[in-house]
Amino acid sequence: MSGFQDNMRQSARGVGFLALVIAVGAALAIAEPRFLSSASLNGIARHMAANGLAALGLTFVVIVRRFDLSLPGVAAFAGMSMGAVIAAGAPLWVAVAAGIAIGAAIGMVSGVAISRFGLPDIVTTIAVGSICAGMAFLYTGGRSIFQNFFQVGITDLNDARLMGLGVSLWILLAIYAVAWFVMHRTRTGVAFYATGENPVAAHFSGIATKRYVALAYVLCGVCTALAVLLILAESGNAETNKGANLMMPAYAGVFLGAAILGGTSVLATLGGILLITMLLDGFALMGVPYYYSDGMISLILLAGVLAFSDTARGWLASFGIRRAFRRSAPGEKG
Amino acid sequence: MTMTMTKPAESHRHRTRRRLSRLITNLWLVAALVVLTALIASQRPQLLDPGNVVAVLKSFSIMVMMVLGLTWVIAAGKIDVSFMQVAALSNMLCAWGLSQGWGWWPAIGAGLAAGLAVGLLNGWLVAVMRLPALIVTISTAGLCASLAAALGKGTVIRIATPGPVASLLEPQLGGAVPLIVLPVLALAALAWFVQERLSMGRYIYAMAQNETAVRSVGIPVVGLTLLLFVFSAVCAALAGVILAENLASGQPMIGGPYLINGLTVVLLGGMMVHVGKPNILGTLTATLFIGVLFSGAALLGLPDYQRQIIQGALLLTGLVVAMLAARHHGERRKGG
Repeated sequence: MSGFQDNMRQSARGVGFLALVIAVGAALAIAEPRFLSSASLNGIARHMAANGLAALGLTFVVIVRRFDLSLPGVAAFAGMSMGAVIAAGAPLWVAVAAGIAIGAAIGMVSGVAISRFGLPDIVTTIAVGSICAGMAFLYTGGRSIFQNFFQVGITDLNDARLMGLGVSLWILLAIYAVAWFVMHRTRTGVAFYATGENPVAAHFSGIATKRYVALAYVLCGVCTALAVLLILAESGNAETNKGANLMMPAYAGVFLGAAILGGTSVLATLGGILLITMLLDGFALMGVPYYYSDGMISLILLAGVLAFSDTARGWLASFGIRRAFRRSAPGEKG
Repeated sequence: MTMTMTKPAESHRHRTRRRLSRLITNLWLVAALVVLTALIASQRPQLLDPGNVVAVLKSFSIMVMMVLGLTWVIAAGKIDVSFMQVAALSNMLCAWGLSQGWGWWPAIGAGLAAGLAVGLLNGWLVAVMRLPALIVTISTAGLCASLAAALGKGTVIRIATPGPVASLLEPQLGGAVPLIVLPVLALAALAWFVQERLSMGRYIYAMAQNETAVRSVGIPVVGLTLLLFVFSAVCAALAGVILAENLASGQPMIGGPYLINGLTVVLLGGMMVHVGKPNILGTLTATLFIGVLFSGAALLGLPDYQRQIIQGALLLTGLVVAMLAARHHGERRKGG
């Protein structure tokens, strides 16, 4: 397949994705006109910032073909730790640094256990997540932490604006820009992808694959800590259940984005999380009860993964639909 | 170069020692269970009171029911993280049906049918559509949790009349044993027979090693995978029905804690009998172990979150031991 065709297909997917975003936005705006109000759009930007950071962390892990189910536990522990540091009277940057350090340390534990010692990823991260969720209770026994939150200025992360957009959205865009540059324009990014695609070949090409797997988990822990920081900033207190709603949107964002845009990447995750956040906020605005949100994300995720799976594409091909798109593919009778 | 060849010059003492070491790897968890029970009972004798034993055995029966199918799913190298929400859905569906005046048997039927449906969906998506099991079951778990909550509009549904399982949950046999243990153990024994004596059991373990190879020798992998996911979901649904009876209510949030509990018992159980492979007997022992541990922790006054930490640590320890054992076996095989 020529590079030109590859580019064409990629931009066709991009155009298709934009059309989907516009269609979903229009449908939600028709069903609920308040969807396009500035309050609603600001809400989407804020929620997208928290969801997007968690999804970005997961993206690294998915690129090296692993899973991480410790997100809620890490978020709970990092969130309560940051709350405890703030309540102790430390400045905000100390709390953020503590949160990042804790996220990185937990990610390191999972990452080293999985890459260096070969433990199974799913069960290991569930166990680590459970321990972290328990440790989140160590500070206050489960009570909310709110002391010093307003004096320390954490709520500015939620309320302050820069050039008309919320600070949290700028944080999201800055981190995504760095991540995009590293993952898609440097050797480090290539090494991440190589580790995921073919670890043996990557190993013999001189890539320290185990280090990249561990690094992916460290980055995931850091991103989760930053995501919960934004949630604390929005609510103005720290509770043990603050990160409970991060994981499903993150998985849906990563896999839906990958399904629509043809592969796991930083931009695909950004697109996926935009779509998911629009839908979630739109439904919330329309008064759909909270307990439907997980189910709806699950349905969207399943539908997305299913519609773009190899098997489904094979079925379409058997009905002759794919022929129109892939006339030039080898081994296919026109 | 056969692995089972024994040296003729091996002394009797040697053989006894080897048999002993195999017995230890097979049954160490049973010994740990006895030691744990003795330790806790020496500190808190209430552990062995008939009332407490009934409670432990009741939660043991429900837990075994919940993870019987999961054991095989994990043994086949797949994962199912939807089982606890399937139980929550069947639990709520049962309670909701009763509140609509269906009567017990239709309500139980509805709960089990929901389990069957989710199992078929999971199995179809994983086996036929070849989607990753984690993504599939994470999604169906979210779906079931939402449906369960929606049935009660986010709250608990109370059940007024005791149903057909109620008498099984009452303490019998000297006031210490709820009869529910018997059918659960019978089902587990049947599953143990299938796993140990029928070729299906061999196929399950073979799938974890090399699915392509198993497929190419003509074993119906698609059907088997479908069956495993259906079995897992139906078992969990049955556990949900028993929970409805036990709690006299439908609880939409009941699933949550069972995820880590279920995985812990299956993987901890995989450390005995067939080391490194989840199996029915191991799951039974590990479930009782965790049950005694939790009951003891409650009697000793440990708060919930400390139990959660202990359990996560246990799960991690189990994983490390399993991996070391697998590596040990691998090296011995290479050496032989």
